[in-house]
Amino acid sequence: MFETLLVGLDAALRIDTFVWISGGLLLGMLMGSLPGFTTTMGMSILVPISFLVGDPLIGIPFLIGVYKGGIYGGSVPAILISMPGTGASIATVFDGHELTKKGQPRKALEMGLYASVISDLFSDLFTLVMIIPVAAVVLGFGPPEVASVMFLSLVIIAVTSTGPVIKGLIMLCLGVWFGFIGADPFSGTARYTFGTNELYDGFHMIPMLIGLFALPEIFAAVKEGDRTGSSIARFVGDRLRLAEFKKSLRTIFRSTAIGTAIGLVPGLGQPIAAMMGYIAAKNASDTPENFGKGELDGVAGAEAANNAVNGPTMVPLLTLGIPGDAVTALLLGAFMMQGLRPGPTLLETSGEIVFAILIAMVLANILFLMIGYLTIPLFARVVTVKRSLLIPVTIMLAFSGTYLARSNPFDIVTLIGFGLVGIAARTARFDVAPMVMGFILGRELEYTFGQTLALAGNDWVRFAFVERIGMTAVVVATPIIGVLLGARMNRFRQRTLARDQA
Amino acid sequence: MTSVRRMTKRCSFVMLLFSTHAVSLAQYPEKPITLIVPYAAGGSNDLNARVFTSFIDDYLGQPMLIKLVPGQAGQKGTLEAVRSAPDGHTLLFTDNYRDQLHRYTFRNQAYDTNQDLVPVARVNYGEIGIIARTDGPYETWAQFEADARARPGELTMSHSGLWVALFVPALQIMKNLGLQMRMVPYRGGGPAKAALMAGDVHMSMAFPATVAADVEAGRVRILATAGPERILEGVPSFAEIGLPPTTGFMHRVVMAPAAIPQDRLAILRQAFAQMQQEGAYQQLMARLGENTEYLDGTDYQAIRIRQSDDYRELAESLLVQ
Repeated sequence: MFETLLVGLDAALRIDTFVWISGGLLLGMLMGSLPGFTTTMGMSILVPISFLVGDPLIGIPFLIGVYKGGIYGGSVPAILISMPGTGASIATVFDGHELTKKGQPRKALEMGLYASVISDLFSDLFTLVMIIPVAAVVLGFGPPEVASVMFLSLVIIAVTSTGPVIKGLIMLCLGVWFGFIGADPFSGTARYTFGTNELYDGFHMIPMLIGLFALPEIFAAVKEGDRTGSSIARFVGDRLRLAEFKKSLRTIFRSTAIGTAIGLVPGLGQPIAAMMGYIAAKNASDTPENFGKGELDGVAGAEAANNAVNGPTMVPLLTLGIPGDAVTALLLGAFMMQGLRPGPTLLETSGEIVFAILIAMVLANILFLMIGYLTIPLFARVVTVKRSLLIPVTIMLAFSGTYLARSNPFDIVTLIGFGLVGIAARTARFDVAPMVMGFILGRELEYTFGQTLALAGNDWVRFAFVERIGMTAVVVATPIIGVLLGARMNRFRQRTLARDQA
Repeated sequence: MTSVRRMTKRCSFVMLLFSTHAVSLAQYPEKPITLIVPYAAGGSNDLNARVFTSFIDDYLGQPMLIKLVPGQAGQKGTLEAVRSAPDGHTLLFTDNYRDQLHRYTFRNQAYDTNQDLVPVARVNYGEIGIIARTDGPYETWAQFEADARARPGELTMSHSGLWVALFVPALQIMKNLGLQMRMVPYRGGGPAKAALMAGDVHMSMAFPATVAADVEAGRVRILATAGPERILEGVPSFAEIGLPPTTGFMHRVVMAPAAIPQDRLAILRQAFAQMQQEGAYQQLMARLGENTEYLDGTDYQAIRIRQSDDYRELAESLLVQ
C-alpha cells in the first residue's frame, strides 16, 4: 500500500493538475459566493468539461476544486451581506456578519479561509490514511443511527439557543412544522398544501435562509436610513492577527474532528456539521455571551466544521461505489467517464490513481489558501460601497438567488413570507437559527424515523436492543446530554443577566 | 485531441450567445435548444443528458442547453415543457414512469402526456435486476421467492423513491407473484444499494451496470434481470420468473410538445439518429455503464402506448384498496 501511495504522489505532482485544480477552486468560489447557486449546481454544469478532458488526474481534481471552493465561497455572502448562499454557511452568518457590521469583514473572511483550509487539509489527510479501515465502519451507519443523531442534534440546538429556552423551543417546533409541509415521503400524501401544486415539494431551503437572514438586515438598514451617504466602513478592515488566529486554533481542531465524524455518516451533511461545530465552540468558550455579537471563534467553529465534511464523503464513494449525496453522485459519473469504476475493486486495480487523486485533494488545499488569500481583499471591498448602492444590489441578489436555486416563481413568495417572519422574530427578540435547524433536521428526522420503522417491522424490541444497540444508546443518552448542556447554558445566561444589571 | 477541439467549440458557442449582433439564421434550429430535465442535479438522468447534449450540437448546428426543473416528482418540468412554445426550441428529457405511469398515480396532473407530448427519440434504456448479498441466505431467485412466500410482509426491500425505477418493478413483482414485502425508501439508488450491502434489507434492485464492480468483488449477486430473455449467464429473466416482459424497463426519452411542426420534428429525429454513429458518444455512454439502444420516436410511440395500458392496470389494482 505504501508503494502505491508513493506512485500516486509521483503521479499527482503535475503542473497541469495544479492549473486545473486552481481553475476549479476559483470557479467554485465564484459560484458559491453567488447566493442561490449551490455547489451541486455548479458541479453539474462543469461535469461535462471533466468528461471531455481524457485524463482522470485533470478532470477529477478539477471537480474536487469546484467542490471545495464552492463550500468556502458560500461563506463570503454570509459574512458580507448576511446571505447564506448554501446551507453549509448557515452558522457562519451569526458572527461573520456581525464582524462585518463592526467594520471587520476582512478579519472574518480570513478566519473563515484559514479555518476552512486547515480543517479541509486534516480531514483529507485523515481520509488518505484511514480510507481502508474507515470503509468497513461506514456501512454500519444506517437510517436508525442517523435518526438518533438527528434527534440528539435537535435537542442540543434547542437547549443551546440564544435567549430564553422557551423562545428557542417555540422557534424549533415552528421550524419542524414548516418541514412537514408538502408530500409525505412514504405515501406521497399532500400535507398542508391547501390543494396547491406549489407546496407539494414543501418549502425550499434557499429562499427560507435568505428570507430569514438577509431580508431583516436589509429592512433594518432601510429603516435606519442613510442621510450621510456613508458606507459600512471606509476601509476593508484589519487583517487577522496571529494572536487571534492562535486563540481559535483549538476551536478549529475541535470543529475539524466534529466535521470529519459527521462526514463519515452518510446523510448528515454540511449544515448539521456547521451548526454542531458552532455550538461546540460556544460551549467551550470562556465568553459564550459574545457569540452572535461578532466573535471570531464562532466563524472558525462553523467554517472549520463544514469544510471538514468534504474529505470523508469520498470514502463510501471510492471504496464502495456508493454516492451519499448529489455531489458525490456527480463525482461517481466523472470517475466512470474516465474508465474508473469506484467500488471494492478500484483500490486494487487502480490504487495509484485513487491515491493520486486523494493526494491532489490534499495539495489542493495549499492552492485553496493562496487563491482565497488573493481574493479576500477584493470581496471585502463590498463594505466600502455606499449603503445607498449596496442595499439595492443586496435586494436584487436576494431575489435573483432565490429564483436561481430552482427557477420556481413560488419561491419568491416563500422568500417574502420568511422575510416577514424574520423581521417579526427580530422585533420580538426570537432567534431564527433554531427554526432553520428545526426545518432541516425535522424533515430528515421524519424520513429516517420512517425508514427505521419500516426496517424494524413488528419485532422492534429485538431491533432496538440487539440489532441497533448504537441507535438505542444515543437515544437514551440524549436527554442526559440535553439536561447537562442546558444547565451549563443557563449558568451563562444568568451570569450575562447579572452583569447586564450591574 | 478531439476533446480540446470540442471544448474550444463550446467556448465559442458561449461567446456567440453574448455577442451583440448575432446573425439570425432562417433555418431551424435558429437558436440554442433548451432541454428541460425534470430531475435534480446529480442523478443518472442528469448525467445521461450531459453526455448526449455534448454531442448533439454537431448534428443540429445549435447547442442544446440543459435546464434542470426538478419538483413534484417530475410534474413541474413536464408542465413547463408542455406549456412552452411548440417551435422545437424547448424539449423534455423524461422516462416512461414520469411519462406513462404518473398519469395514474398523480390524479390531478395539469396535462395529459399522451395528448401533449410526442417522442423525438428514445436515447437508451436500462433493465433492472434483482440483487441480494452474496453472504446472505439467497443464492437464487427461487430461494428468495420461497422465503418471501413463507413470511409475507416480513422481508424488506430498499428502493430509491415512490413510483420510480426500483419501486415500480417491485410493485409489479408483488402483484404478479402474490408476494408481500416491506418497502423501505432511500434517497436514490446509491443509498438503496448501501442498505443492501450493510445487511439492513433482504433484497434490492439495481441496473446491472451500477453493481458491476460489486458483483466482480463478490459482494452482490444478481438473482434475475428484466426482459423476456436472459442477459446474464445462469440468471433467469423476468419472463422466466413469471413477470410480464415489459416489467423493469426504464426508457429515457426526449419529448417535444405535440404541436411541434412536422418538419422540425423530422430534423430533431434525424439529428439523434445521426449522433448514434459518433464513436466518442458511444464510448462515453459505455463508460457510464449505459447502453445506446437508440429508438426512433415513431417506433417508441408503439411501446409507449402499450406501457400505458400495463401501468393503468397496475395503478388501478393498487390504488383501489
